[in-house]
Amino acid sequence: MFKISNATGGYGKTIIIRDVSISVKTGEAVALLGRNGVGKTTLMRFATGLIPSKSGLVEIDDRTAPPAPAKRARMGLGYVPQGRFVFPRMSVAENIAVAAASNGHDAKETIAELLLDFPLLKPKVDDLAGGLSGGQQQILALARALAIKPKILLLDEPTEGVQPSIIDEMAGVLKRMNTERGIAILIAEQNLDFCLSIADRAYVMEKGSIRMETDRDRLRHDKALQQELLGV
Amino acid sequence: MEPDYLATVLLSSLSSASILLIATLGLAVVYGLMGVINLAHGEFLMVGAYSALTATQIGIPYVLAIPVAVMITMLIGGVVEVLVVRRLYGRLFDTMLATWGLGMVFNQGAVLLFGTVSPGIGMPQYSIRIGEFSLAAYPLAMIAVAAGTLAFVYLLLTRTVYGMKARASIQEPEMAQAIGIDSSRINMLTFAIGTGLAGFAGAVLLPIIPATPSMGLFFAVKGFLTVVVAGPVALTGTALTAVGLGGGASVTASFMTSVIGDVFFFLATALLLWLYPLGISSKWRRKL
Amino acid sequence: MSEKLFSSSGLIFPAIATLLAVALAGHIDPYLAFVATSWVIFGLLGLSLDIIWGRGGFLSLAQTAFYGLGGYLGSVVAINMAPTTGLTLVWALPAGAAFGALVAAALGYVIFFARMGDLQSTILSYTFTLLLWSVTQTFKLDVGAADIGGDNGLANIPGIVLGLGADSDALGPNAAFVTVVLLSASIYFVTRWLMRSNFGRIVDCIRIDIEKTELLGYDIRKYQVINFAYSGAVAGVAGALFGLWANYLNPSIFSVQEALLVPIYVLIGGLGTLAGPFLGAIGIGWLSFWLGGGTVGGQTTLILGAVLVLLVLFLQNGFLGAIGGFWKRFLPDPNDAARNTGAVKIDTAVLESILIDAERQAGPAKPLLTEDLLKRFGGVIPVNKVSRHFVEGKPHALIGPNGAGKSSFLKTCVGLYRPEGGTIRLGSDEIANVAVFDRVRRGLGVKNQKPQVFGELTVLDNLWTAAFARTRDDVRAREISQKVLGMLGLEAQSKVQADALSHGQQQWLDIGMVLCLAPRVVLLDEPAAGMTNEETRELSLLVRTLARHTTVVVVEHDMEFVRTLEGHVTVLHQGKLFAEGDIDSLRLNDAVLDIYLGRGEHV
Repeated sequence: MFKISNATGGYGKTIIIRDVSISVKTGEAVALLGRNGVGKTTLMRFATGLIPSKSGLVEIDDRTAPPAPAKRARMGLGYVPQGRFVFPRMSVAENIAVAAASNGHDAKETIAELLLDFPLLKPKVDDLAGGLSGGQQQILALARALAIKPKILLLDEPTEGVQPSIIDEMAGVLKRMNTERGIAILIAEQNLDFCLSIADRAYVMEKGSIRMETDRDRLRHDKALQQELLGV
Repeated sequence: MEPDYLATVLLSSLSSASILLIATLGLAVVYGLMGVINLAHGEFLMVGAYSALTATQIGIPYVLAIPVAVMITMLIGGVVEVLVVRRLYGRLFDTMLATWGLGMVFNQGAVLLFGTVSPGIGMPQYSIRIGEFSLAAYPLAMIAVAAGTLAFVYLLLTRTVYGMKARASIQEPEMAQAIGIDSSRINMLTFAIGTGLAGFAGAVLLPIIPATPSMGLFFAVKGFLTVVVAGPVALTGTALTAVGLGGGASVTASFMTSVIGDVFFFLATALLLWLYPLGISSKWRRKL
Repeated sequence: MSEKLFSSSGLIFPAIATLLAVALAGHIDPYLAFVATSWVIFGLLGLSLDIIWGRGGFLSLAQTAFYGLGGYLGSVVAINMAPTTGLTLVWALPAGAAFGALVAAALGYVIFFARMGDLQSTILSYTFTLLLWSVTQTFKLDVGAADIGGDNGLANIPGIVLGLGADSDALGPNAAFVTVVLLSASIYFVTRWLMRSNFGRIVDCIRIDIEKTELLGYDIRKYQVINFAYSGAVAGVAGALFGLWANYLNPSIFSVQEALLVPIYVLIGGLGTLAGPFLGAIGIGWLSFWLGGGTVGGQTTLILGAVLVLLVLFLQNGFLGAIGGFWKRFLPDPNDAARNTGAVKIDTAVLESILIDAERQAGPAKPLLTEDLLKRFGGVIPVNKVSRHFVEGKPHALIGPNGAGKSSFLKTCVGLYRPEGGTIRLGSDEIANVAVFDRVRRGLGVKNQKPQVFGELTVLDNLWTAAFARTRDDVRAREISQKVLGMLGLEAQSKVQADALSHGQQQWLDIGMVLCLAPRVVLLDEPAAGMTNEETRELSLLVRTLARHTTVVVVEHDMEFVRTLEGHVTVLHQGKLFAEGDIDSLRLNDAVLDIYLGRGEHV
């Protein structure tokens, strides 16, 4: 369903990821693990088209994705970036509405639906997004990505700087989106527990390449592997 | 002091402030939505004025010459965005310098094409009377034009999908793309709207301010100061600042000399920047 | 050899150029010499902008104001003194310099102490110039023999007179050219020396990261005002020279066109290069001179405008910057060493000895005490009457939900926010109304969440800048920075530019800079954010060791990290103290679970 093949890219002349290939099947949730600086964020941005590709291919919904990020979004690629990046001087409702409208969905309907999924945002709906707390912004960034009605959702470090109780709630929502609505998920995380509660399968990255592919049970029980790969 | 005189001064000051606002709106849109200070704004105003003038000279009625001027300046603005401004987003001072260079080119181009003096357009002069004082009607009509333009721009940017996309594109350009907004097209349109508003100003003010190659400079300088004093909440802030600074300067000028009016304008700017180092609207919780 | 030549190129090439100009001066056409003198004067004006813009980071459009004011005052003095004494240079230049410096200092005081944004500062400086432009149109004043006549200008300014006495003559164009070249060259060399001194280093730091520079304890606004005053003095000298050269001044010297021409000189030559503005001014002057005689005559403006657009688009660093970049490609890259860094391993013995040295020099740890501390933003109260006492021994962790006010509390203690009420005490000092840099000097050390290092400076220079802020002693600062460098294990990278380091290494370098300050109270804002688990472990060790010698307060989200600190934990909620204790007892507290830690239903 979603596939990155032989991705090579980076910033300027520096190459950060080399020849990375991963795939996510319909309705699957996959984790992208690895220490800091191994290229997880770069791979995510490669997938969205926000950094130019040196070589490699991205397929969304089994079709080759064009280079423009906007076109990829319209093919069903939802993205929650590290650091949230909500539109600060727009209201919560507008943050969701602009994402919906840019992909041909009805803005009002989408807002109403998403507020049911995220009751936390309801009292804030007319507030400027910049005034929300970090955790609320993270939830909004997730809601915004869901507003484009994605087939695959990329999440980059969604728990960073977020209080434990909201992390817990977020895990619940993501699981529901994945199992009930069949949205495929690719999630890059440092927080292993959070990851394991959502994903069934994981890629482990090292120095810009995929070091191995593994599943939830092996990761959960193999302490030596945890130690070696993640330094947990 | 006679109430009639006071009313006359207030009305004419309000009309000066409105003229400043009309001339500044395009700058405010481009700064507020794109974070770009377009130092060629005054020259776009001049291009608008010459476009309208040329249009009337070839027989198009003045009312229709205004949209012609808007179209021409929007077109040039779009081209400038693609060729120059687009490469400099996020580099505030570089865009200032590049658009200033562009302004010099336009200015000199106008000197070559039209010479330094040009005819005004013949418009019937109406005036209204307040007691024993008489006021020209056209400048007063600018109060309504300013209010109308402000309302139009405000609604365009807050109530339409384009407006949302435009604001999203400047606030987080990468994320705007990542949720499906074609930012480069939106930015081109926003810049073109900004220059189109400058063209509109040049055309609509033509009966009061005749077209000359350097006509834009005076407005542009006051416009920058207004927009920067206004701060991040660009439209509301600019409207308020234009009325305050422009109106204040005009009232001062009516009672004293026009130089003292200018001095008031600059001193008030300095004072406001000192009191509000990031613009008067830096703490407002408003969208635009 | 080649590297040495590169680093002293700013000395050698300008010296050669000066000698050439002086040697050739006698042989060129007097008219060309006359015109070329003005180019050099414009170069000097450009230099004044490069000082404050290229080095200080503030695009000032008031340089022509200082230039014009210096010119007017210098000329007025020269007009009155020359008939009896001759020697116009001796009168005009100091008068111009002093006036320029004074006005720049006053304007700089307003701009820097109001903490204006970049754009606002630039616009205010521009407003100042325009204000002078309007005022001088009608400003009429007779000062002795000098008649300042509004837009009629000021005439009868004597030329450059070097001889003594009433009957001395003004220099001819060729001799005047030599004089101006020599004067400008000496100002250039003095400026270059100043910008490479400790003062210049700090000015560079302010440009790169103003907040960090203040957090090292430098009185940044003082440096900014002094640097601006110096640039005003240079502009004033240029103005005085211009008056003597032109024998006539009028208000157009303050015009918009003049004000905006100066950045072009700087940009063409190369921003921050100091020598560049001279190249730019001479280049443009020569271009107009040459075009003026040719068929395209009046099109100088058109060409200048186009040149400016192209420069901004394609030659970002100007002529000298481009040459420098090209030259550097043939020199060995000191940043190569950045690739060979291993993981940081804290040597506790070295750390201990650094901390004991610090204690010996800066005294024992100080407690940090807040009482009823109150901070309001409109209706939101992020810090609501917080009273807390922090002492050394064990680290203090501040935790709480997002928006609980942890960061606001920290920022209020640092001085980035002004409290509406309550007291903050550092040791025995009440510091609630003390400036940020002064709090640092009294022993506060701050590490923000993002790594704050001076990217253009080398690793060692970063540490030195921190150590020098405290010791004000070059030798001791070197000792301290060398020791901290060793502790971080970055010796091999000492000459690497800080922005070539990875994110994690920058975090460590930042922590190293805080240690160089020998702080008595250390505030850390989410120090573990973005660190690997190994690095987090090393950090935990460092924080615990640090806490034995100084007071340490840590704001943190990473519960695992907080647990390993084995210290006191304070929970903030809605701006208020909510709970206290160690992490294990808080994990059993229902209220804390509800608001913050969560019950792990999904995770």
